[in-house]
Amino acid sequence: MTSFATAQIRRRRANFALFLGPTAILLLLFFIAPVVVDVGVAFTDMGRTLSVSSFTLENFERMLTRDSRLLASLGITAVFVITTLCIFNVGFALLLALVTTSVSARVGAFFRAIWLLPRMSPSVVYALLWLWVVDPNERGLLNQIVVHVLGLPPIDLRNNHPLLLVILANGFIGASLGMLIFTSAIRSIPEHLFHAARADGAGSLAIVRHIVLPALRWPISYMTIHQTLSLLVTFEYILLITAGGPFYDTTVFSLFAYRRAFENGQYAYGAALSLVLVIIGVVAALAMWRLMNMKELLQPPRIEVH
Amino acid sequence: MATADTLAKPPAPALNWQTLAQGGKRRRSASQSTLLAFLVIVSLPIILPYFWMVVISFTARTGGISTDVLWTACAVIVPAVLLYSVIHASLPSPRLRLVAGAVLLAIACALLIALIGDRLHFDNYRFLWRANVVEEIRSKATAGGQFPSVWTAFRNSLVLALSQTVIIITVASLAGYYISRFAFRGREAFLQGMLVLHAFPAMTLIIPIFLILYWVGLLDTIVGVMLVLATIELPFYVFVMKGFFDSVPWDIEMSAMTDGATRRQAFRLVVLPQVRVGLIAVSVFAFIRAWEEYIFVRTFLIENKNWVMSLYLFWVADDIMGVDYGIVAAVSVFYVLPSLLLYVFCQKYLTQMTIGGIKG
Repeated sequence: MTSFATAQIRRRRANFALFLGPTAILLLLFFIAPVVVDVGVAFTDMGRTLSVSSFTLENFERMLTRDSRLLASLGITAVFVITTLCIFNVGFALLLALVTTSVSARVGAFFRAIWLLPRMSPSVVYALLWLWVVDPNERGLLNQIVVHVLGLPPIDLRNNHPLLLVILANGFIGASLGMLIFTSAIRSIPEHLFHAARADGAGSLAIVRHIVLPALRWPISYMTIHQTLSLLVTFEYILLITAGGPFYDTTVFSLFAYRRAFENGQYAYGAALSLVLVIIGVVAALAMWRLMNMKELLQPPRIEVH
Repeated sequence: MATADTLAKPPAPALNWQTLAQGGKRRRSASQSTLLAFLVIVSLPIILPYFWMVVISFTARTGGISTDVLWTACAVIVPAVLLYSVIHASLPSPRLRLVAGAVLLAIACALLIALIGDRLHFDNYRFLWRANVVEEIRSKATAGGQFPSVWTAFRNSLVLALSQTVIIITVASLAGYYISRFAFRGREAFLQGMLVLHAFPAMTLIIPIFLILYWVGLLDTIVGVMLVLATIELPFYVFVMKGFFDSVPWDIEMSAMTDGATRRQAFRLVVLPQVRVGLIAVSVFAFIRAWEEYIFVRTFLIENKNWVMSLYLFWVADDIMGVDYGIVAAVSVFYVLPSLLLYVFCQKYLTQMTIGGIKG
C-alpha cells in the first residue's frame, strides 16, 4: 500500500515536471527574469559598454526633473493613445462589427478578412505600404488622388502631419482585433431578442441601442483597457514609418525609452523609463483580469489519476 | 413612439399585403446596399495600397514609377466587379452565375492584357537569382558586399519561424493539457499568474531581454531570438490550447483509462488527436507571427548573415527606396506571400481560436 502511494506521488511529480516544466523554465528565463533585471538595471549607471560601475538613483532624478523632452513625449503619447483608441480601436471596430454582422454572413466574413489583412502581413511591408501611400511627390498614392482628382497641391503627411499619419497607420491595424471580439459577442446574443424587438416595432438603431450595446458592455470595457495598454507599449509602426521623427515629433513614451537605450546607449536610463511602463502594464493586466471569465477558467478538473 | 402612433391610428380599411411586402423588401435591399457601399468604401484604403504594391513590383523601372498602369487596371477591374455583383444579385441559379462570372473574368483579363500587358515585366524580381542587385543599383562604393543573398534571409526566416512554432506547439499543448485536466497544489495561483503574464506587454521588456541575451551569449543568434519569441507569446498559446482541451469530453479519456491506458498514453493517443484543429490553428498563427517579427529581430540580430526577411526588406528599402521602387515592391511581395497564403488557406482554423471567454 505504501509503495503504491509513493509510486503515485513520484508519478505525480514526474508529470508535473514533464507537462509544466518547459513552460515554467521558459517563462522564468525570458519573462520573469527580465522584469527583475529591469528593476535592477534601472538603479545603475549602465551605459554603452553594458558594464555597471555603481548603483544610483540618478536615472529617476533625471526622469522627474531634468529630461525636458520627456514631458513633450508624454503629451504626444496621450494624444496618440486617446485618439487612436477612441476613433479606431474601439469606435471603428464597433462600427465594423455592427455592419459586418448585419449583412449576409459570407459578405461580412469577406470584409472582416480584408480588415485582418494588415494584421497578418509583416509589419515592414505594412509600413512600406504607408510610405508609398503618403509619398510626398506626385507618385504617392494619396497625392495621385489629391492632385488629379481634387486638384489640390500635393501634401506631405510624413513631415507636416506626422502624428496624424501614425494614428492612421496604427488605427487601420488596431480596429481589426476589436472587430473580431465584438463580432463574436454580437453573435452570442440570443436570436429571439432581435425578433422580439422587431415585433415590438423597434428600428435598427433602437435595436443597436437597447439590445446590442448593453450586451457589449463587458467586451467594450475589456477591449478599452487591452488596447490602451497595447497602444501605450507598441512603437513598431511608428519606428518603421517615421522613426519617431521628424525630430522627436512622433516619439511616444515607449519609443522614447527604446531610443534612449539603443540609439543613445543609455541602457540604465532606458530601463528606468521602461519600469514606468512595466508598472502600468501590471496594473492594467490586473484590471483586465477582473473582466475575464474566472469561473470558467478556473473550473476544477474531474479526473484525479496521474 | 412608433408603436404608440400605429396603435392610435384606426386600421386601414383594405390592407394590400402584397404592396406592403414589396415595400419591405425594397427597404431591406436599400439598407443592405447602403451597408455594402459603406463597407466597400472604408475597405478601399486597405485594398488599394496592396494592389499598388503589386502593380509597382511588376511595372516600375529604375528611376521611376508609372502611375497610369494602376488607374488603367482599376478602370477595368472596378466595372467588372460592379457588373458581377449586379449579375450575382439578379441571377438566382448558381450555374448561370458561374458562367457569367467566367465570361466576365475572361473579358477583364483580355482587356487588361491589351491595355497594360506590354508594361508588365519581371525584372524587379531579379533579386531572386542575382545576389548583389542592391550594390549594382547603388554602385559599390555605398554598400559594397553588404547584402546577403535573399535566400540566406529566407532560410533564416524559415528556420526561425519553424523552430519557434515547434517549441510553442510542444510546450503549449503540454502545459495546456496539464492545467486543463490535472489538479495540483497552486493551480489557481498558477493560472492567475499566467493570466497576468498573458495580459502583460512583453515589448516593455525589450531592454532587459537584450541584456540577458548578451550575458548568456545568445545575442545575435537565431536561437536566442527563437527562444524569446516563443516565450513572450507562450501564455497566450497555453490558454488557447487549454480552451481546446477543455472542449474535449472527459468520457473519452475516462474510457481510455478504463481500457488500461496510462494518463500519458491517454494524452498522446486519445486526447491529442481530438484537438487537431487547435494544433493547426496555433501552429499557423505562431508561424505567421514569427515570420513577420521586426522589432525583436532588429534589436537582437546584428550581423547580415543572421538577417531574416524583415531585416532584408528593411535594409533594401532603406538603401534604394528613392531610386528604385520596383525592387523594394518585389521584395515586399516575395516576403508577404507565404504569410498571406497561409492566412487565406488556414482561415477556417484561425477563426476557431478563442481565449478564456470574456465575461458577459
